[in-house]
Order: sequence, then C-alpha cells, then structure tokens
Amino acid sequence: MATVREKKVAFPRMAHYNVAMKYFIEQGLGATYIMQPEMTRRTLEIGSRYSPDFICAPFKHTLGSLIEALECGANTIVAPGGPCRLAYYGELEQQILTDLGYEFEFLDIAELRYSKPKDYVKLMRKLNPKLSTPKMLAAAAETLRLIQHMDEIEELYHQNMGFEAEDGSFKKAYTQFLHALERATSGSDLRKAYAKAKDTMTHLPVNKPDHPLRVGIIGEYYTVMDSFSNLNLEEKLAKMGTEVHRWMNISNRNIGYNEQNLLAGLGEYSKYVMGPTTVGTLHAAMRYGERHFDGIIHVKSFGCTPEVDAVPAIQTIGQDYKVPLLFLSYDSQTSDTGLNTRLEAFYDMISMRKKTLR
Amino acid sequence: MKLSKPADMASVRTIGIPRALLYHRYGVQWTTFFEQLGLTCVLSPETDRAIMDQGTALSIDESCLSSKIFLGHVAALIGNCDAIFIPRIANYGEYRDMCTKFHALPDLTRHAFHDQAPCILDTEVDLTHKRPEKPAFLELGLRLGKTKKETLRAYDAACKAQERDEKQRAKALHVTLKKSSGLRILLVGHPYVLRDDYLGTQPARILTEMGATVLFADDWSRNDARKACRSFSNMIPWMISRELVGAILSMKDKVDGIVLLTAFPCGPDSMINEMIIRRIKDKPILQLTLDAQSGTAGLETRLESFVDILHYKKEGGYGNRS
Repeated sequence: MATVREKKVAFPRMAHYNVAMKYFIEQGLGATYIMQPEMTRRTLEIGSRYSPDFICAPFKHTLGSLIEALECGANTIVAPGGPCRLAYYGELEQQILTDLGYEFEFLDIAELRYSKPKDYVKLMRKLNPKLSTPKMLAAAAETLRLIQHMDEIEELYHQNMGFEAEDGSFKKAYTQFLHALERATSGSDLRKAYAKAKDTMTHLPVNKPDHPLRVGIIGEYYTVMDSFSNLNLEEKLAKMGTEVHRWMNISNRNIGYNEQNLLAGLGEYSKYVMGPTTVGTLHAAMRYGERHFDGIIHVKSFGCTPEVDAVPAIQTIGQDYKVPLLFLSYDSQTSDTGLNTRLEAFYDMISMRKKTLR
Repeated sequence: MKLSKPADMASVRTIGIPRALLYHRYGVQWTTFFEQLGLTCVLSPETDRAIMDQGTALSIDESCLSSKIFLGHVAALIGNCDAIFIPRIANYGEYRDMCTKFHALPDLTRHAFHDQAPCILDTEVDLTHKRPEKPAFLELGLRLGKTKKETLRAYDAACKAQERDEKQRAKALHVTLKKSSGLRILLVGHPYVLRDDYLGTQPARILTEMGATVLFADDWSRNDARKACRSFSNMIPWMISRELVGAILSMKDKVDGIVLLTAFPCGPDSMINEMIIRRIKDKPILQLTLDAQSGTAGLETRLESFVDILHYKKEGGYGNRS
C-alpha cells in the first residue's frame, strides 16, 4: 500500500528559496509540499548530533532541517546535488536518516549529475506519475522568474534597510512579500506580490547619504545566502548603516551563469576554475574592488575546500584594489556575540577609513 | 581544442616535482615522462618537521594537512630547479572526480608564493570538460620545446611505466596476503597520506613493530577496486575514495582489522569514512585523524589498544584467551 499513499514532498531549508520550491512542486508537479519551520538552534543541534565530525556546516543544517521536515509529516525527500561535497550529501543523509529509523522515499538530484533533461522529467514523474509536461514546464519557467524576482527584492532590501526612516519598515515589506509568495497559487499571484514589494521598497522613506558605506559579501554558496547559517550577517551589517551587496544568489550563480566568461575576466587572479563557487567569488571581489567598495567580507563554512583555496587570491585582490577584507568561517558552534564584536570592529575601521580618505 | 602553444618553457632543463599529494599516485608517470624528454627531475626531500612547519606557515589554517605539506615541498624546490610541475587534475571522467583541492593547486601555489613568483609548469586534465590526459601531456611537451613525436613517445613510455609499477605493487600485495601469518591490518587512506613519510608511515611502522602485517589499500589494482566499489555505492564522486572503498571490500575478509587514516580536515574522507563505518559492520575499524601535532605517543596508545582488541577477537573473544 505504501506506493499509493499521497506524496508529501520536502526539501532541505535554504535561504528563502523553499517558497519557490513549494510553488514548483505544488503548481507544476501537483504534489503536496511540506514546509518545515524556519531553522532554529534546535535544527542545528539535531543536525550536528547525527553528522560526521568535520563535515561542512551546511550538511548539519540540511540534515537538521530534513529531520524537522520528516517530523512535520513529509514522506518524500528531494535532495539537491552539487559539484563539491554536495554531490554526496544525498546518499549520506539518506543513510543517516534510515539508520535513525525514519521511513521515507528519497529522490537525489545528484544522481542526475551527468544526465539529460529527459531524466529530470523521469525523476519528477516519481513524484506524480500523471504529471502534465506542459504544465510542469510552465511552472518551471514561472519558478525561475520567481527566483529572479526574489533575488532582486532581497538586494533592494539589503541595500536600503540600513537607512530606513521608520524602524522596521523594510523588514515588514520583505516579510509580507515572502508570505505572499508562500500563499501564491498562480503566476499572477507571484507577479502581484513582486510588483507590490518592489513598489513599497522603492517608495519607503530612507535617509541615505550620497556616499554610503558599501560592503560586498562574497563566499560559499549555502552559508553566504542562508541568513540562519551566517547568523544574519547581512541584516546586522545593514543595520549599522551600510549598503550590503552580494553577487552570489541563484539568479547569478545558476540561472544566468557563464563560468568561462567570468573566468576570462579574472585574468591573473585565477587561471583555472579552482572550485564550484570560486569563479563567482573572485569575480564579485574584483567588481567590488573596481567600484571602490569600503569593505569585502568573505563568508564560508569551516573547511569548505574550494573557498579556502580562494582565500589567497582574495587577499591579493584586497591588496591590489586596497579594499579592507574580513574573513568569516562558520561552524555549528559559532556564536552571535563573537560575530557582533568582529563586525563592529570592522565597521568602525571602514567608517574611520572612509572619513580619513575623504 | 587548440594544441599549438608557444614553447614558452623551452629553456627549462630541470623540473621540480613536489613529493606530495598526487606525486604519490602518478609519480612514476610524471618522472618517466620528463626523463624520456631528456630533462632532469628534481624531487623534494621526504617530508620532515621543517617542511611541514614551512607549509603550515604558507597555508590558510583551514586547509587540509596534506595540502599544507605540499606547499612546504614547493618551498623546498624553489631555487633548485628551473620550473615546478603542478598540474590541475580535476577529474578522469564521470564519477572519477578529484577533490577540488587539485582543481585549485596551480593557482593556489601561485598566490601562496606571490613574492617569489616561482616558474610553474602547469597543465589541465579535466575529462568532463573535454580535456583528456594525452593532449594535456602533449601540450606540456610542446611548451618544453619538444616535437609532437618525441612527446607522444615519452607519454607512451610514461603510461607503460606507471602501469607496470601498479601491477608490480598489486602483485606484491597478493604475495603478502598469501604468505603472511599472524595479525593482518589494512591501512586505508589517500596515497598522499599513506605514503607520506610524516603521516602514514608512522602508524605503519608502529603496527609492524607490534608484530602485525600491514597492507596498504592503495596497492590494490585501481580498476578492480573501482569495479568492486559499485556494490557499495554508485554515488561517490571521488575516484580515489571509490578505489579505497573497493579495496576494503575486496580485502576485508582477508584481514583482521581496518585502520582509516585521514589528514585533518579532508573533505571526501569526512563523508566517505562515515559511510564506511555505517555500512561495513563485520570488521573492526579504527578511524585515525592526523593533524600537525608532533609526538606519536597518542597514536601509539590508540593503535596498541586496537591491536589488543584484534588479538582478543582472533582468539575467540575475551573469555577464551589462554
């Protein structure tokens, strides 16, 4: 009987992108999506408890959020693949969850690493055998646009929230936007939510100086995008009164990504592709340098090999463009207080530096 | 793909090869290739405390111990050769990836030695992006000012020498498996951990002194091991990890215990070792993580207690010891 039970699909938590996943699974595939609660201290605790010792922190986060999804009643897990350790996340998570006694169906996108688009449809059919391909494709296109809209709104949010005239006004608009997306059942719902959020955010009163402090955030895919993993780094920084920029998001790294073009632009800094996100990281660092940013913060989880290897190149970029750098490495023990202290010191340094330079 | 590259390294006479990382896997191929082309290979000395300390000073502290040691070896070569050979080896095809460390190695070294700016002879092997090994070596030869014919002949000889070496090692392993008596322990780890004079040879020496026969997982035929790994997992992306798992599966019934050696914090091992421990339940397994600490007392204690357990087990459990 197990095969006919209703599919309740879950995906590990990652930044705010789960609403896009929910839209695609429900509207495109016609399956039920289980949205686990936002990650908390507990998520990380249970995730770390069952994870291997020196695995990267995103594994602990995603494992914890999968356990929470199973607790919420999910019976089918979709795991993302990737080009680094991510490629093996799926199999190990499946093993750990099975050893813990959970019963579930597991679809590992990493299995399709070298496959053709046809195989992706095959995988989706496992979620809904009566899948309508045109409907799925329409929803896929809608989801991609949704992700780009989300990234655009998030950029607006991080670049302006630090200068809001009314405390919390940007946060409110952003939260309303995310809630509207979660409730959306059609493309027009999505577009309406986007238009409203964009309109609100561009018209909210701000007290922004002509030359605000600008900080660029670069680094490892998951930790740099997921605000729970990076302890709300961007909001903290913005709140001190800076404009926070981040190149890394799904729109830039996955949807409109051309690795060879970006690599060619890196010149002496990187002759080869050093790792899955390093080209993007170095590209962003160079752009921030060229635009005379006041600081660059590099974010990664402890032991992330590709990003660790990029650090010497980032240091060279920092020297060449004379941009102050801050390197942050996160693991499951990182505390809020430690981060605050380092951010305050960095902020004080770059703001004094700006005053001296002007 | 364009093969014609200017012979920008034609004046190079001596090639430095760091005795670290993939040298322990492809060393025979590399040295034979350059020697066949009429060049002299300079190898850095065996790893010692000084090399490791220097490598650690040059590295980002979160890098894995093996890559820190690598930079120490590069430092030892600077000034003793015309160019240092550091290839970018990304993968040998689908599901035959190398750790991303090897993707970054040429760029990483260049930035680490920013001030000295050593001459680095690099090339790229990346089959999933249509860069196979043969054209990569051909490009090397042309850059060194050799003809296409000379280079291909050298490459051919290099591959044969490498194959011969692998066969010999596999044969020697089978002889040991057949002849040895007493406790047999399988040492499992990346070749650059097992074969490094500062890392893997320490536990091997301690175990031999305790009277055990030590077998190295990387001696097992690489092709056979990759095939054997399929029954364990189809998803492992890393080629060396696949071979190690395959070697464990092929040999586990012939040994008394398995020691997993890891250089802290190795990315692939952090996941694969966990999987090995979760899936292979019928053999005692000891997981040892090596870091930059000096002194072997801790290592000895752990190995001694592991050997004790294996002895008890072999004699039929705790109650049956005579």
